[in-house]
Amino acid sequence: MLRVESVVKSFGGFKAVDGANLHVNAGEIVAVIGPNGAGKTTLFHLLTGHLSPDSGRILFKGKEIGGLSPHVVCRRGITRSFQVANIFPRLSVFENVQIAVLSRERKTFRIFSPAKGMAEEEVHRILRSVGLFDQRDVGSDLLSHGDKKVLEIAVALSGNPELLILDEPTAGMAPEETERCIRLIRKLSGESGLTILFCEHDISLVFEIANRIMVMVRGATVAQGSGEEVRRNSEVRSAYLGESGEC
Amino acid sequence: MRRSAAPLLLLLLTATLLALPQILPRFHTYVAAIVLLTALLATSLNLAIGYTGLYQFGHAVFYGVGAYGTALMLTRSGMPAPIAFLVGPLAAAALSLVMGVICIRLSKLYFGMLQISLGSLVWAVVYRWYSFTGGDDGIHGIPIPDAIASPKGSYYYTLIVTALCVFAMYRIVRSPFGKAIQGIRDNPVRAAAIGVDVKLHQLASLVIAGFFGGVAGSLFVVVENSVFPDMMFWTFSLEVLIMCLLGGMYTFFGPFVGASVIVLLRVFASIHTRYWSLILGTILTLVIIFLPDGVLGMFVRRPRPKESTGA
Amino acid sequence: MDFAANLFSAGTLSQILVGLSRTTILFIVSSGMSLILGVLRIPNVAHGSLYMIGAFAAWSVIQYLGGGLPAFLAAMIVAPLIVAAVGFVLERGFFSYLYEREHLMLLLLTFAFMLILGDLVKIVWGPEYRSVTVPAFFQGSAEIFGLPLPWYNLFLLLVGPCIAVFLWLVINRTNLGKIARAAAVDGEMVGAVGINTGWIFAFTFVLGSFLAGLGGALIAPMVNISLGMDHTLIMETFLIVIIGGLGNMWGALLGSLIFGLTQSLGILVWPQFGIAFPYLAVVAVLVVRPRGLLSSTW
Repeated sequence: MLRVESVVKSFGGFKAVDGANLHVNAGEIVAVIGPNGAGKTTLFHLLTGHLSPDSGRILFKGKEIGGLSPHVVCRRGITRSFQVANIFPRLSVFENVQIAVLSRERKTFRIFSPAKGMAEEEVHRILRSVGLFDQRDVGSDLLSHGDKKVLEIAVALSGNPELLILDEPTAGMAPEETERCIRLIRKLSGESGLTILFCEHDISLVFEIANRIMVMVRGATVAQGSGEEVRRNSEVRSAYLGESGEC
Repeated sequence: MRRSAAPLLLLLLTATLLALPQILPRFHTYVAAIVLLTALLATSLNLAIGYTGLYQFGHAVFYGVGAYGTALMLTRSGMPAPIAFLVGPLAAAALSLVMGVICIRLSKLYFGMLQISLGSLVWAVVYRWYSFTGGDDGIHGIPIPDAIASPKGSYYYTLIVTALCVFAMYRIVRSPFGKAIQGIRDNPVRAAAIGVDVKLHQLASLVIAGFFGGVAGSLFVVVENSVFPDMMFWTFSLEVLIMCLLGGMYTFFGPFVGASVIVLLRVFASIHTRYWSLILGTILTLVIIFLPDGVLGMFVRRPRPKESTGA
Repeated sequence: MDFAANLFSAGTLSQILVGLSRTTILFIVSSGMSLILGVLRIPNVAHGSLYMIGAFAAWSVIQYLGGGLPAFLAAMIVAPLIVAAVGFVLERGFFSYLYEREHLMLLLLTFAFMLILGDLVKIVWGPEYRSVTVPAFFQGSAEIFGLPLPWYNLFLLLVGPCIAVFLWLVINRTNLGKIARAAAVDGEMVGAVGINTGWIFAFTFVLGSFLAGLGGALIAPMVNISLGMDHTLIMETFLIVIIGGLGNMWGALLGSLIFGLTQSLGILVWPQFGIAFPYLAVVAVLVVRPRGLLSSTW
């Protein structure tokens, strides 16, 4: 479904991503791991059009998407969450999701018909599925940190993506929030067969839920495969697991 | 409670506004008309700054172009008046589109400053082009159609047009488009990531704001019978911004309230003192320090989470 | 053809030199603003008012001392110091509590100060025009390539580079300047290593205000000192800083040159719409380089 071939991106003289390769098949949960500064977030920005690659190819369903604008990438079927919860803080939880649904339905240029009640059923269904239904009228900036991140996933889901990209979905969450978030990811993958690509610092969590893992070190892909394969890979051990094992 | 009170309040307000010219003396009727059209101007600015989050620092230019467009059509073209009243706002919208295309690539403060710069360019041309715009003298004695030329007539015309425009903007901010621009204001990156074409929406919002700003300008022509370049000077743009801030930028009627307060204060303060700027500056300082959400912003209650999860 | 004739006439060079001396004033004022923008991140609309106060204060000092070269030179120092004191009060009294606010709020707050200071000047000095005569020492003109250039303009042409060198030294060669630059990039970090950023900010604001006051004092003999002289200047200063690159001192210099020269040449080429030329230049620069000509600290 998604193929990334030797993608390079540098800022000034610094190569943040330097030969990343990745493939994601439909229905999989794929994780990208790597030490801090390995270029995971940069890679995700490249996939979703927030940055454009210097060279290399990014193919989604066989078509090049590298360098497209974020909103175009979204319409091709990729939506994402960000590392820092990225929501519409002055709007209610309901409105956050509603905008995403209306955007998908290309209704955001209707300027006179009231938005109230539009797409209500679908928004409610989405909010129920992530467990935020009771909070629907709350101002989203007043939510707890964990709820904000869940809301962001809900917003990303509202675009009906074929591929959902999550940048450190559990970062900064309390243990029970993390638990809830993992259950949500599993549910999304299991129930609707959604393809999910995520990166994460918590290694045990990665091995727990990912079908396949890609390891990045200094911007390059050093290994890719099942959890077991990655664990056995000596390069990964020395470059990455060794380091984090000490912490 | 509050919800059921709203229609009653609106009815009361409408009745008062309709009755005003019957009870008020001539000068006060004129002031009331200025209040209304300035409120329309502030509300239109708020569409760009409060709802779309764009630093629209040169809004008075659209007001001025709307006014000059109307005035020039009335004095020079010999076309029927209704066309003149449409051409002004359309010219403002067109200018807004052109300036928007140039400015939209820049973020926040740069956007605002480039807009002021372009606005100053327009101002400089109007200020110096004596043969066409009357230069720094402006244009006076503009012929207004009889039906709306009297103080009462111009007041009612202003009232009706302002009401229609404010209603239209009210519909707009509650439409899907309105939600989308609020999303863009809150978080343009997020908005793009859910498929919203950020720049296109921003541009549309600027054009709409410019158009209604232009309508306010055309009303000024009707009420004042004259136009002058100062009405598009950058200090006036910032004054309109103060109105939005004072009333509350994140409420729909805030700018309306802010504009009313400032215009009334200005009129009555300038009777008693030469130091209007001192008063305005002091009010603004107090608002920024103590009331950053504006007067109406104080009354907005947002539902809080039911249970404190995690905390 | 008229335009071309105007442009290549003998007056052009002296017009350029006069334009350059005006550029000096623009540079002094806008370098102050750039400093405040770069370190404190305040788009200070009241900067023009400080400049106006500088001009009025210079007039008062000269009146008090009774004219002559010493009085004039004293005014060039005392007036900026008075303005610096006003800046100190503004920074410690208001801004120091509000640095966390968004730029829009800060900008509007400084606009409020512009309104207040404008009326305070009206209360203190009255609404009349004031004028300062150039001291005898600077009267008359020098001959440059056979063209007359007033001595005072020549004096300004010398002051400009001195100020630029002085600022360069303060910013690059003193600890204060180094800390201020670091604070501009990351105030929290500088605070975390135990440096009191509050006083750095105060110093920067005071220095910026001093420069505004100096600009006002220096222009006093060349113009009618009047209420409203802040309005046009502040807009010019803002645009200079924007096209130069926010917070970049050399950007302020470059921007001033562009602005001052397009202004004087514009008036020469097309008297009626000359005032529009600098704005056109700004638009052209920003269309090509949206973030200004030189790198910005923002």
